[in-house]
Amino acid sequence: MAVRANPNLLKQLKRYGADDVTKCFHCGTCSATCPLSQEPFLFPRKSMRYLQMGLGDRLKGNLEPWLCYYCGDCSDQCPREAQPGETMMSMRRWLTAKYDFTGLSMLFYESRTAEVAAIIVVGILSGIGFYLLGALSGGDFGSYPGFIPGHNAEYLTELGWDVKSVVLVMAVFVLGLLGINVLRMWWFTTGSRKDLNVPFDIYMKHILLCPWHFFTQKRYSECDKKKPWVVHIILMLGFVALFAVFLAHMIWQDDTHAHTYLGPLAGVMLVGASSFALSGRLNKTEAHYKYSHHSDMNFLYMCLFVGLTGLAQHIAGRIGCGAFANFMYILHMMGAVPMLLIQLPFTKWAHLVYRPHAMYFAAIQADVIAGREGAKGASAVPHKQSA
Amino acid sequence: MVKVLRTGVYICEAGTGAAGSVDLRMLAEYARELPSVVKVVECECPNPDPVSVGEQIRKDNFDRVVIAADSPGYFKPAFARAMSLAGKSPENVVLASFVGNGAGASGSTERAKAVICCAVSGVPFGLAASQRKKSVHPDTLVIGGGVGGIQAALEIAGAGKKVYMVEKLGTIGGKMAMFDKTFPTLDCSACILTPKMVSVGQNKNITLWTYAEVEGVSGSAGNYTVTVRKRARRVDEAACVSCNACSKTCPGEAPSEFDAGICMRKAIYIPFPQAVPNSFLIDEKACLWVTSGGQKCGTCVKKCAKEAIHLNARDEIVEITVGNIIVATGFQVFDAVKMERYGYGRLPNVITALEYERLTNASGPTGGNIVMKSLKYNKRKKVDEWVFGPDNPKPKNVAIIHCIGSRDHNHNRYCSRVCCMYSLKFAHLVREKLPDANCYEFYIDMRAYGKNYEEFLERVHEEGVHLVRGRTAKVEEADGQMRLKGEDIIGGKVLDFPVDLVILSVGLEPVPESEQLASLLGIARDEDGWYAEKDYNADPTGTERGGIYLAGVCQGPKDIPDTVAQASEVAARVIRSILSDQMQDSRNTLSLADIEDGLRRQE
Repeated sequence: MAVRANPNLLKQLKRYGADDVTKCFHCGTCSATCPLSQEPFLFPRKSMRYLQMGLGDRLKGNLEPWLCYYCGDCSDQCPREAQPGETMMSMRRWLTAKYDFTGLSMLFYESRTAEVAAIIVVGILSGIGFYLLGALSGGDFGSYPGFIPGHNAEYLTELGWDVKSVVLVMAVFVLGLLGINVLRMWWFTTGSRKDLNVPFDIYMKHILLCPWHFFTQKRYSECDKKKPWVVHIILMLGFVALFAVFLAHMIWQDDTHAHTYLGPLAGVMLVGASSFALSGRLNKTEAHYKYSHHSDMNFLYMCLFVGLTGLAQHIAGRIGCGAFANFMYILHMMGAVPMLLIQLPFTKWAHLVYRPHAMYFAAIQADVIAGREGAKGASAVPHKQSA
Repeated sequence: MVKVLRTGVYICEAGTGAAGSVDLRMLAEYARELPSVVKVVECECPNPDPVSVGEQIRKDNFDRVVIAADSPGYFKPAFARAMSLAGKSPENVVLASFVGNGAGASGSTERAKAVICCAVSGVPFGLAASQRKKSVHPDTLVIGGGVGGIQAALEIAGAGKKVYMVEKLGTIGGKMAMFDKTFPTLDCSACILTPKMVSVGQNKNITLWTYAEVEGVSGSAGNYTVTVRKRARRVDEAACVSCNACSKTCPGEAPSEFDAGICMRKAIYIPFPQAVPNSFLIDEKACLWVTSGGQKCGTCVKKCAKEAIHLNARDEIVEITVGNIIVATGFQVFDAVKMERYGYGRLPNVITALEYERLTNASGPTGGNIVMKSLKYNKRKKVDEWVFGPDNPKPKNVAIIHCIGSRDHNHNRYCSRVCCMYSLKFAHLVREKLPDANCYEFYIDMRAYGKNYEEFLERVHEEGVHLVRGRTAKVEEADGQMRLKGEDIIGGKVLDFPVDLVILSVGLEPVPESEQLASLLGIARDEDGWYAEKDYNADPTGTERGGIYLAGVCQGPKDIPDTVAQASEVAARVIRSILSDQMQDSRNTLSLADIEDGLRRQE
C-alpha cells in the first residue's frame, strides 16, 4: 500500500491543540514512561512520528490515541517539552472529527464560535420547547408539573407520551449518528486492514470489553497517577446515575425512589468532579490540565451548569418553591439537551462511545497479532541491531 | 579623492533594551557631529516600513545607512529593502550593534558612541578597540590543575616563564586522573597524565599550590594582583614521604573524592598514590582533632617519624603579581539524584559514569573488577551498607543510559559532548572484562563526531554490545532484581527486562564555584553557566577582559584532546604577550577617546 504524506497535517492538527509536535526528537522516554503503552500498541512516540511525517491515513486508522488516558507523565518527563500527552489528546479530537461523517464535528472542533453558537441555539430552542410543553399541558408556567417529587405526580402519567416521543426522536438521532460513526471507526481502524483479517469468533470473544471499559475505566486506573481516574469515574458515574433517574422516570414513572435519592447524588457527583476539573484547568495544576481546547472547557462548563441547575431545582422543590424549581428545571434542560445533541455526538463527550470501542478493537487486533506471532516467541530483550 | 558617502544614522530604540541603559538623545547628538553624517533619525517603530524609510532616504539622498541598535541585524532586511526602493545600493547598510560590542545590557552611552563612530567610519569595532602597547608582567597564573591547566602550565614553563598553579583539591590531575581508559585509543589515562603531573611538580618554573583558592583579583590586563588562600594541609609537603603510618591509626573517615565516593578514605589521607604533591593532607571536616578543637586524638602526630604533621597549622594568604591568568577550572558531573526515575541514590546498583570509571580502574577499590554492590556490615556505624568489594558477584546484564541530565529541557539543554564516546568505552570495557555479560547501550542519537570516533563505535558494535535507540524511562526494583523499562525504537517494542548494573552517563556541568570566580575575575558566563568566550569563532579562548583566558571544559563541554589543544593554544597566546610585552587590553576599560585613537590608527 502506498503511503501518502499530507504536508498540511500538522497545520490541521494545530487547530485541535497539538502545537509542540515538531520539538520531539524521538528519544522514546514517553513510550517507556507510559504504563499503558504495551505491544503491539506503542504510544505516544509512534503517533508523534506519524504526525511529523504527515501520515494522515495511518493516523486515521490508529487506535493508539484512544488507548491513552492522559495522565500527563509523558509530558512531564519529555526532555523536549514536546507535550506528547496533549498531542494524543489533540489526535483524539481530530479522530472524533474524522469519524463523524456529517462534518459537524470538524466544524465544532475547529471553531469555538460554531460550538458555542450551536449550544446556545439548541439550548434556547429546548428552553422554549419545555416552556411550551409545561404551559400547554399544565397551564401556566408557575404550575408546571416538572420534576417536583410528590407534587402533581399523577399528572406526569398524562404528560408522559408527549415527552417520550420527543425523547425517542432525540435518542434515535443521537444513537444513529454515533452508530454510523462507530462503524466508520471500525472500518478505518480494523475493518479495512487486510493484513488483520479478523475472524468472527474473535469479535465475539472480546465483546464484553466494551461495557467493561465503559463502566470501570479499568485501563485509566492502571496509570501511575490514580487521582485523574477517580475524578473521571465520579463524573462518569454521575452521568450514569442521571441516566438511571431519567430511565426510571421515562419507563417506570418512578419519581420517588430514583429521583429522591439518586438524583441529588448524581448532581453532587457532577458538580464536584466538574468543578475540580475546571479549577484544575483554569489554574493549570497538573500536566493533563495545562492545555485546554475550547471543547474541553465548554464540556466542563456544561457539566457544571447541568449539575448546579439540577441540584437547585431539586432543593427548591424540596423546600416548596415550586415556581423557582420549574424555572431551574427549564434551565437544567437548556443545558442537558445541547449536551446530548451537540457534545455527545460531535465533540468532547463522544469519547464515551469511541473509547470503549477502541479498547474492544485494540483487544481484537492484539489477539490476532499475538496469534500470528505466538509461534515465533516474543522476547522482551532487545535484539542486536545495526546502529 | 574618495567620494564622501552621505550617511544617515538610524538609532533604533524599539525591540532593544537600549532605552534603559543608553542615553539615545546624547547618542544622536554625538552622531550628528561625525564626519559624513547628514542626518540622524531616531526610530521608535519596532517594524520600520521599507516604503516610508525609502522615501526618506531618497529625499535626504543618503548613500549609506547606519543602523544603531542593540541587535540591528533584526532591522537590516527592512532597511536594505528601503535602500533599493530609493535606488541606492542595499549593500550600504551598516550595522552598529551595541550588544555585540559590549554596550548592551550593562553598556554605557560612551561605548555606544564608540560603536556608532566605528560604524560610520567603516572600521570594524574589534580593530579600533584593540591591541595597545602595555607592559606585561612575565608571570602567569593558572587556576585549576586538571589536564588543561597542566598542559598550559608546562608549555609556558617550558618557554622559561614563571607559572603559579592554584588547585582547589589536595592534588593536581583533575578528573582525567580518575579515568581508566581514554577514548577512542583506549590508552591508559593515568599513564598519559601522571608523567605530566610529575613534571609540574618538579618544574622549577612552576609554583604549585594545591588545596588553595583564589580569593581576590585586582589590577588590569598585564598586571593583575591576585590573592590566594593556601588552606592548611596540616602536613608539611616537603617533609612528608607518604609512608602511610599516620592514616593507619586515624579514626576519622570520609568518602574518597578520588574514588568518586564509592569507598572511604581516612581523615589524614593522600588522594591517590601518584598524587602531586606526593604528600598527605588532613580533611578538617573529618579529623577528630580539629572537630574536637584539639581536645581528642592527635595520634597521627605521634606516628609520624618525619614530624611532618602540624595539626594547628593555619591558612596562609599570599599575594602574587601576574600578567596573564588562565582559567581551567573544569567541570562537575550532573547530579543523577535529580532524575528520580533512574533510581540513583535509591537503588544500590545504579551508578554514575565517574563511579564506573573508578570501578573499572585497576587502581580502584575493586582492583578493576566490574562487580555489583553487596550488603556489608559496617562495624563503626553498626549498620548494613551497600559497598563494592573485589570479590562481589559480577553483573550479567549491564545497561548504560545516555544523556542523563543533558539534552533535556528539564535539566541541561545542551549536549555534553563526551558522554556518547565514554559510554562506548564503558561498553567495551564490560565486554572485555565480562565476556559473558550482556551489555546494552540506550541512546538518543549516537554522537561519534571526532577523529576515529565512528570507527570506535563500529568496533564496539562488533564486539557484541547491544545498541538500543531510545532513552530508557525507568529503573525499578522488584524482589531484589532491578528491571529496566525503555522503548527500543528501531526494534519497535517496549522493553522491560532484568538488569544487574545500570551506569548513568551523566552530563557535564560548570563547577559551583564558577559564579564566584567569574565575578572575581570580572568575566562573563553564558546562560548555562560556562565562562563566556570573547568571540565564539574568532576568539574562543579569550575573554572580554584582556589577559584572562579560558582553557578546557570550563568554557564548554569538550573531550581531552580538545582540552589539551585549547590549553596549548592559550599558552601560545600568553607567551606571545610576554615576549612582545604587549597584549589585548580589556575592552571594558577602553574609553571613547581610546577607541577614537584606535580608529585614527586604522585610517
